[in-house]
Amino acid sequence: MSDIEIVESLKRDLGEKALDLTNPDVRRIFVKIAPPELVPVVTLLRDKYDCAYLATISGVDKGDTFEFLYHFASPVANINLRTEFPKSEPRIASICAVIPGAVLYERELQEMFGVKVEGIPDPRRLVLPDDWPEGQYPLRKDWKHVRPQEVIPGGKS
Amino acid sequence: MSFQIPIGPQHPALKEPISLRMTVEGEVITDVDMRLGYNHRGMEKLAEEKSWLQNIYVTERICGICSHSHATCYVQGVEKLMELAPPRRGLYIRYLVAELERVHSHLLWLGVAGHEAGFDSFFMYTWRDREIVMDLLEMISGNRVHYAINTLGGVRRDIDEGQKAKILEGVATLRKRSEYYFYIGANEPSFVARIAGVGYLSKESAIALCAVGPVARASGVARDVRKDDPCAVYGELDFEVATADTCDVLGRVVVRVKELLESYKLIEQMVKGLPAGDIAVKAPRKAKPGEVVSRYEAPRGENIHYIKANGTDKPERLKVRAPTLANYPATVEMLRKGFIADIPLIFAAIDPCICCAERTVTLVAAGSGEESVVRMSDLRRQALARHQNAPVKRNAVWPL
Repeated sequence: MSDIEIVESLKRDLGEKALDLTNPDVRRIFVKIAPPELVPVVTLLRDKYDCAYLATISGVDKGDTFEFLYHFASPVANINLRTEFPKSEPRIASICAVIPGAVLYERELQEMFGVKVEGIPDPRRLVLPDDWPEGQYPLRKDWKHVRPQEVIPGGKS
Repeated sequence: MSFQIPIGPQHPALKEPISLRMTVEGEVITDVDMRLGYNHRGMEKLAEEKSWLQNIYVTERICGICSHSHATCYVQGVEKLMELAPPRRGLYIRYLVAELERVHSHLLWLGVAGHEAGFDSFFMYTWRDREIVMDLLEMISGNRVHYAINTLGGVRRDIDEGQKAKILEGVATLRKRSEYYFYIGANEPSFVARIAGVGYLSKESAIALCAVGPVARASGVARDVRKDDPCAVYGELDFEVATADTCDVLGRVVVRVKELLESYKLIEQMVKGLPAGDIAVKAPRKAKPGEVVSRYEAPRGENIHYIKANGTDKPERLKVRAPTLANYPATVEMLRKGFIADIPLIFAAIDPCICCAERTVTLVAAGSGEESVVRMSDLRRQALARHQNAPVKRNAVWPL
């Protein structure tokens, strides 16, 4: 399928659900959907568009909202599913039931952005240490690293 | 009664830190848990503080083996954002270095596989030959590890006729040697018997768990970004995607061996067809607001960068996904139902790069719940002992 055919087919299948549908470059398609549509659309992409391969999930802090991009790849195109939700209600559904390989990426999003992924099979932290303080989410734009005060036993000589 | 065995994060046989927790019943692994983060350096946050140019050198330091892969993936994305068209000569040199890097990475891995399977002469041979390609890389770029040859809009160093002749000569030697090793592999039944059937990953699981690179291709999934999404020069070169359908460690060896031969082919085509002209164009300091998804086939699998620009000289967001991270769920599947003695071999077979994604094994006895920390060298000894006593799989063949 060529890019134009995929875009036309997506327009037919998604209809009103596709809030935005662009094809900025060869084999790059960006689709924007509302958060509640996430799991059904992922299922559609997997079953109809041969997108069983999820490359990764990118999170972006846009100030008042979070934007998540699900980068899918089929042998012919790279379909990027975009969804946006307010920072005041940081919740998104898990897609692990449809794409089992997504679990590590969702765990990373949870600890880095403080977004609750509902229904994730394994909610533990991925890369942050066990003693990392609660409520600190490093990839949020307002998070700044503060170097802890150096304590030298006996004081500096 | 099941035991839990921890392997890592600090382990003499592991060059990089990761913690694997195996639940075992007798000698059979029933469950595996991985804990990551021992090497987390916060590179994505750091990249937001650095300029577009500085970030080439930050991304290059994500990994020490596939350093060129991350830098290439990053620059090809940023060039799209800046609407730059690098000269063809620059592109050819960039992907020539990329293929040389693939050769050195696969030769390194073949040695490790031989070592873990108890075939140490194979390890000595492949690592000796790896020096040929390392010398070529040093001649082209001036460095053995971080080549620093990429820049926005092209490459930083040109190659001359003498260097071209040396590359062709080196590749000819490597091809002869590689073919000789395949002959040895085909005629070495104990090596084939040791790796056949170990670390099984079915095609369905490979697809469901989003495996990438040689791991996916060894399970019969022909997934290669160079073919599916050809960037820059790959569309005009002749090569094939190597696959195998045995779904085990043998398949992963075969895929990498075939890829070596394909890389030699690509290197020769690129050196012989090197276009004349400039090697780089001047890049602007800032990029217009926009976003780009950049994909690149690293030696270990697909590398993907998502880059978002906000109009300044720094990226708004740089998301990096290294191939090893994508292969972890598949590794858990491969280790399940395997033997403790096969852990080093299976884990080595994904060619893990912990730096990129981010070793001790704790074995817990199934009866008492007692934890015992096993050294990788002891595990290797157990592995060798088990296979000396195991019956030879006489029907296993080297499928080349």
